[in-house]
Amino acid sequence: MIPQFEYAVFVWTSYGVFATVVIWQFLQPVLRRRRLLAELREEAALQSGVEQ
Amino acid sequence: MMFEKLKVGFHRLGSPPTFYRLCRRLSPWFWAGFALCAVIGLYQALYVVPPDYQQSDSFRILYVHVPAAWQALFGYVLMSILAAIALIWRIRTTEILTMMCAPVGAACTFICLATGSLWGQPMWGTWWAWDARLTSMLVLLFIYLGIMGLYSAFDDRRKGARVACILVLVGLVNIPIIHFSVDWWTTLHQGATINLFGESKMHPSMLPPLIWMAVAVKLMFTAVMLDRSANELVDQDRRKNWVRKMIGDYA
Repeated sequence: MIPQFEYAVFVWTSYGVFATVVIWQFLQPVLRRRRLLAELREEAALQSGVEQ
Repeated sequence: MMFEKLKVGFHRLGSPPTFYRLCRRLSPWFWAGFALCAVIGLYQALYVVPPDYQQSDSFRILYVHVPAAWQALFGYVLMSILAAIALIWRIRTTEILTMMCAPVGAACTFICLATGSLWGQPMWGTWWAWDARLTSMLVLLFIYLGIMGLYSAFDDRRKGARVACILVLVGLVNIPIIHFSVDWWTTLHQGATINLFGESKMHPSMLPPLIWMAVAVKLMFTAVMLDRSANELVDQDRRKNWVRKMIGDYA
C-alpha cells in the first residue's frame, strides 16, 4: 500500500522525478543501440546489393 | 608477473572490440546491482524509517536528493580523472568514457536540483533561492550541458572530445566551490549532515537507506556510462571491420 505521507505531493513527485530520469537513462541507450544496429544493417544490405 | 598481467589487461582495454565486449558484459551486472540496492533502499526510505521530528515525511526526499547530489559531484571528479588520462595518453576509449560521463552527470544534477526545489517549497517556503549552494549546483548543470554541446559541435569526434576534455578540467574548479559553499557563505541550504571522517549529525536509524541509495545511484551511473560508451564506439567505428563482423553475427 502506498503510504499517506505528510507533504505527500512533494515526496511522491520527487520520487517520480527520480524514477523518470532513471528510466530514461536506461531506455535512451537501448533505443540508440537499436537505431544504430538498424542503420548499420541497412548500410550492409545496400552495400551487398551494390556489390552483386 | 601480476603487474605485467595487469599492464597487458589495461592496454587491451584500449582495443575497441575488447572495450565494447567489456561494456556489454559488465553493464547488465551494474543494472542488476542498481535494481537490488534501489529496491532495498526505497523500501527502507518509504516504509521503515520513521518521520523526522521537525520536517515530518518531507525529509524522505533526502533519499533521492542526496545520492544524486553526491553522484553529480563524484561523477564530475571521475570525468576529470578520465579527461586527464585522455589528454595525456590520447586513449580513444578513455575519451569516449569521459564524454559519456557528462549526460549521466547532468541527469544526476537535474535530479538533485528538481528534488531540492520540491523539498525547498514546503520547508523554506520557496522553490528556488540564489543561494551559494543552489547556484553553484546550477552552474554544474550548465557545465555538464556545455561539455555535451561542445563534444557534439565538432564533426571530428576525437577533436571534439579533446576540446571538451579541456573544458572538463577547467570546470573542476566548481567542485570545491559547491562542496565548501555552505561553509564559505551564509546559505539557506543547510551545512553538511554526513561526515565521512567525523561524527554525522544524522540519526543512525536514518542512515541505512541513504547508503543503499548512494550505492544504487553509483551503480546506475556506471551502467549508463558503459551502455552509452558501447553505443558511441559502434557509431564512431561503423566502417571498421570489427563492427561489420558484429553486425554479421547479429544478423
